[in-house]
Amino acid sequence: MNDRMREKRMGYIFSVPAFAFMIAVIGFPVIYNWYISFTNMTSRTFNSGTISFSGIENYITVLTDPDFQTAFINTLVYTVCCLIFQFSIGFALALLFNQKFRLAKPLRGFLVISWIMPMTVVALMFKYMFSDSGIINYLLQQLHIIREPIEWLTSTKMAMPSVIITNSWVGIPFNMLLLATGLSNIPADVYESAMIDGANGIKRFFYITLPLLKQSILAVLVLGFVYTFKVFDLVYVMTGGGPINATEVLSTYSYRESFQYFNFGTGAASANVLFVCLFLVGLIYVKLIGKEDENE
Amino acid sequence: MNRLSRFMYKKKNRSAVYTIIAVLIAIPLLFPLYWVIISSLKGDAEIFRKIPTFFPKKSVVETYVSQLTNPDTLRAIKNSFIIASGSTVLSMLLSVPCAYGLARFRFRGKKVMIMTFLVTQMLPSSLILTPLYLIFNKVHILNTYLAPIISTATISIPFVILVLRPIFASLPKELEEAGRIDGCNRFTAFFHVILPISKNGTVTGLAFCFIYGWNDLMYSITFNMKETLRPMTATIYNYMDLYGMKWNYIMAYGVLVSLPVLILFIILQKYIVEGLVSGSVKG
Repeated sequence: MNDRMREKRMGYIFSVPAFAFMIAVIGFPVIYNWYISFTNMTSRTFNSGTISFSGIENYITVLTDPDFQTAFINTLVYTVCCLIFQFSIGFALALLFNQKFRLAKPLRGFLVISWIMPMTVVALMFKYMFSDSGIINYLLQQLHIIREPIEWLTSTKMAMPSVIITNSWVGIPFNMLLLATGLSNIPADVYESAMIDGANGIKRFFYITLPLLKQSILAVLVLGFVYTFKVFDLVYVMTGGGPINATEVLSTYSYRESFQYFNFGTGAASANVLFVCLFLVGLIYVKLIGKEDENE
Repeated sequence: MNRLSRFMYKKKNRSAVYTIIAVLIAIPLLFPLYWVIISSLKGDAEIFRKIPTFFPKKSVVETYVSQLTNPDTLRAIKNSFIIASGSTVLSMLLSVPCAYGLARFRFRGKKVMIMTFLVTQMLPSSLILTPLYLIFNKVHILNTYLAPIISTATISIPFVILVLRPIFASLPKELEEAGRIDGCNRFTAFFHVILPISKNGTVTGLAFCFIYGWNDLMYSITFNMKETLRPMTATIYNYMDLYGMKWNYIMAYGVLVSLPVLILFIILQKYIVEGLVSGSVKG
């Protein structure tokens, strides 16, 4: 009995500081953010102490703002497109690198660099490559794919695709790694017995690989959604949300409201919309993890 | 014999085909990195040429010299190191014991804690930006190093816990018991027995904390109005105005910003790749 009490105490001594820190710096602000979103808080009312409740007014303001609607749709388009590219290319690479060949390991490891590089540098790097006289336009012209240089980041039409291409470049190794891990967990004898039964490569992919990889695939998609949906750095550095809102996303919208116009109320409200979207997706993720635990 | 050699030949052939495909795919994926480095080594005349050169005709280090003799850049480098190291120390002090506690001891609320770390890892930074700004304002740590240090630690802590907990849990309990027979208590057993054994995991955690602290842009530009406190990632933006279209200088700065991260990555590649996988998926 005494031993168990001691064990409990040790557990708390080791774990509580980090937990308390996270509650103070994340948990409390999340709740405080809800409070702010229901008040008329701006830099002026904050300093003069005349903050008052305004109900759901901020939410109405935000949801009826055409700029917000654009940002919301942009975020969705951005996330879905990035996911499609990252996932399909990442999956293909995972299948390739799962084969045994020379250079497989070093190359696979090397590709991960794009995932851990500072996002600011990635953004500037692509901004340079996408510039009018940049290397991408030059190569496309040399290959006779285009005649005139494309205005990648300065036209409202092409700015979003440019940002999507950049983020896909960042996300591919992440998808590749997680899917490759899932692939390597599939026992080889499953494939061997299928081969004996005469299943060809395509059949083996659809009847063995995909079903056995279901958990990894779902986890990668959900995590990818979460990471992509909250994009900030990339858009902020590459386009700043422009031209004319073409690449404005929820996080840059919220940032602008709070720290450019100092409308903390609407900034908080728009951030909460982002939060609710992610929360719904997060619920799915937590359910998935829970299921995995049960299987273990 | 004949059949065996044919089989070996086929296998070798296949391996060669895969290698070629992989290299062909890797080239465009790694090209941006090559392009940054090459461009940073070009002189002014070459960077403005209509037809870009794929190998610099005359590589210069002028861009780097100019950056490294600029007091503003040096200050930004110093700031980056202060923020990243501060964030690393704070995160490791909190997360390593926590991971151990969650792996080793049984107590009420453990599941809730693990779940909380999982969820906080996924929260968008922009969600806590406004409230943290107002809170930091109240406790007077806006425009200090503490603001970005504390806020970037919230990214590292859950990550390190999720990476280290399974590693600690996989260690046999007998290890600590042996240590305790040798006169260690629970705490000293943790420091003298557990930490040295799980060195690889801990070092991976350390690298990630540093990288997260180093790569931050959002917290520094929001919480530090003072230019003198801003790290390299935040000041790189100003170079756009300062150097105009002198991309060779901007890219040299980009290489300098990435350098510590790249060095860490090259030294710890194997562990970082493993850590990414375990920190992202498993609970």
